[in-house]
Amino acid sequence: MNMILTSTVNGLVLSAIYILVALGFGLQLSIMGIFNFAHGAVYMIGAYVTYGLSVALGLNQWVSLLISVILVGASGLLLEKFCFRPFQSKPTHMIVMAIALIMILETAVEVTLGGVTRALPAFVPGIFKAGSISVDNERVLAFAIGAVLLAALTFLIQKTKIGQQMLAVAQDAEGAALQGIDTHRIAATATVIACATAALSGSLMATIFSMNPFMGDNILLKAIQVVILSGIGSIGGVLVGGLIMGFLNAFLPVLINASVGEVITILIVLGILLIRPKGLFGYELF
Amino acid sequence: MHTESLKRQRRNITIAAICVVVGLLFALPQLGLSVYFMHTLIGVFIWIIVANSLRLLGLSGQGSIGHAAFMAIGAYTSAILAKFLGWSPWITMPIGVLVTVVVGFLVAVPFTRVRGIYFTMVSLFFGIGVLAVNQVFNKWTGGYSGIISIPRLFAYIKTPYYYFCLALMVICLLIMYRLEHSRIGLTWKAVAQSYSVASSIGINEAWQRILCLGVSCFFAAIAGVAYAHYYVILTQETFSFNTSINVFVYMTVGGAGLFAGPIAGTAVLLIIPELLRDLREYVPFIYAAILLIVLFLMPQGLAGLPAQLWQLIKRPARAKRMASEKEVGERAP
Repeated sequence: MNMILTSTVNGLVLSAIYILVALGFGLQLSIMGIFNFAHGAVYMIGAYVTYGLSVALGLNQWVSLLISVILVGASGLLLEKFCFRPFQSKPTHMIVMAIALIMILETAVEVTLGGVTRALPAFVPGIFKAGSISVDNERVLAFAIGAVLLAALTFLIQKTKIGQQMLAVAQDAEGAALQGIDTHRIAATATVIACATAALSGSLMATIFSMNPFMGDNILLKAIQVVILSGIGSIGGVLVGGLIMGFLNAFLPVLINASVGEVITILIVLGILLIRPKGLFGYELF
Repeated sequence: MHTESLKRQRRNITIAAICVVVGLLFALPQLGLSVYFMHTLIGVFIWIIVANSLRLLGLSGQGSIGHAAFMAIGAYTSAILAKFLGWSPWITMPIGVLVTVVVGFLVAVPFTRVRGIYFTMVSLFFGIGVLAVNQVFNKWTGGYSGIISIPRLFAYIKTPYYYFCLALMVICLLIMYRLEHSRIGLTWKAVAQSYSVASSIGINEAWQRILCLGVSCFFAAIAGVAYAHYYVILTQETFSFNTSINVFVYMTVGGAGLFAGPIAGTAVLLIIPELLRDLREYVPFIYAAILLIVLFLMPQGLAGLPAQLWQLIKRPARAKRMASEKEVGERAP
């Protein structure tokens, strides 16, 4: 019983993080039509900037988290202008671009800080107790921040003008441009949002688990899995897809062998891709 | 005017150049090639086969970022048979290739349902899936730590391996070149351009794509078995997602549009970091710098560089001519 509860909590936390990262990845995919494989590296950089500011420079941890989110988010502007925009219509070149970015970022961290695994100190140390379950505060925090941010992002996309413009560009970039929407500005906004959420979720994950220069690779694959599961262009879909993936990843290693669980997850993703390429809720990109 | 003879002349020059390069490669061990560099070159030969097989797959419009999985199937099959059953590598290598081709044809059937970027995604998850399966059967495959001391093809000296891999590469490249310029290759290119037009003129589009994946697997598996019995160790990392991506990068950086592309890309991206290995942890920066230079300055890739330079030399003359024509045009009315 206790195990099931713990796994449920873990599933919720994992889902929140997966959804945040997948939303950023999915935004870039639907608005710019690019598979940004460097998203995991941005996530890693976010965690390391928070680490550098709080542990190495001794700033308050919340302040350093904020600075990290702002810095990495702002660097999204540069990424969009110099790295993504020239390759929007060339998916193969975009993949090479992303590889170059990943190599530069990961090597930069490895050279300056070394490849060792580090831990970011907890934002709120301590343990949260409710009845028979006890969870460390970090996980509660990660889930809470994730949920609040998700609500805010959903509001942004569904209710505000810029969100509506994003949806329009995602549906048909040319049509949106004809209506007077500045597609480059929308793409830049989407990239900034994606980078900022990636930095935030990276920092949160670094407190729960640990951090190393290659922590982004795994989460990137999970984000792609979530986006494929849910389909492109559906926020509600990403929510459901993230929950499914989070719970699969929390329960399968406990219930059965971890490597068999991995195979099952991959089989589910492959099956969805082959039977219904547009995912459970989305539409087909091309 | 004399375009036909000019074309023939250029072709003869190309053939002569290729013969010289291949001859030089065959002569290198006699000319006192260091063992270390021989080791590097053997790796280059193996990865050239893979990168070109990926380009072959790309001819039918299917871009894969999970191609190392097919190498893995061949390599592990051959390695396990040779190690645990004690069969000769000369027997297990063809078996490994055969198994991979069968698997390739089988998975190609459902894969034809998806196209373009979705095919790429399917290939990505197929690659990861093969690795995950590899973990499940860790009793045979060794899981993370992998298989070690796989039986060798030759004794501990590198020279026979060098000749073997070089010959293998030359033969594979010749076959792939002929294939690309045969009727089958043209059909694949037609399918890549527009599958609906291709099927409207009577091409069985799905079958052509299955065939292309199967043939591509054949070459990937050849490289895989050669890898297994040369390096004699296979781990989880050997054929990971990174490997697949690297092969994809070799092909794209070299220039996916040209037959020489993957060859140039593999050679440059494997040999230059090896020459600069004194920089140690900074080597990925060099690698990334090469990628960025190619991305921004060479739209045709590394192999397109000679043509690009030629254009650059010719351009001033043409620009001058165009400017004078414009001047005349402006004066005329």
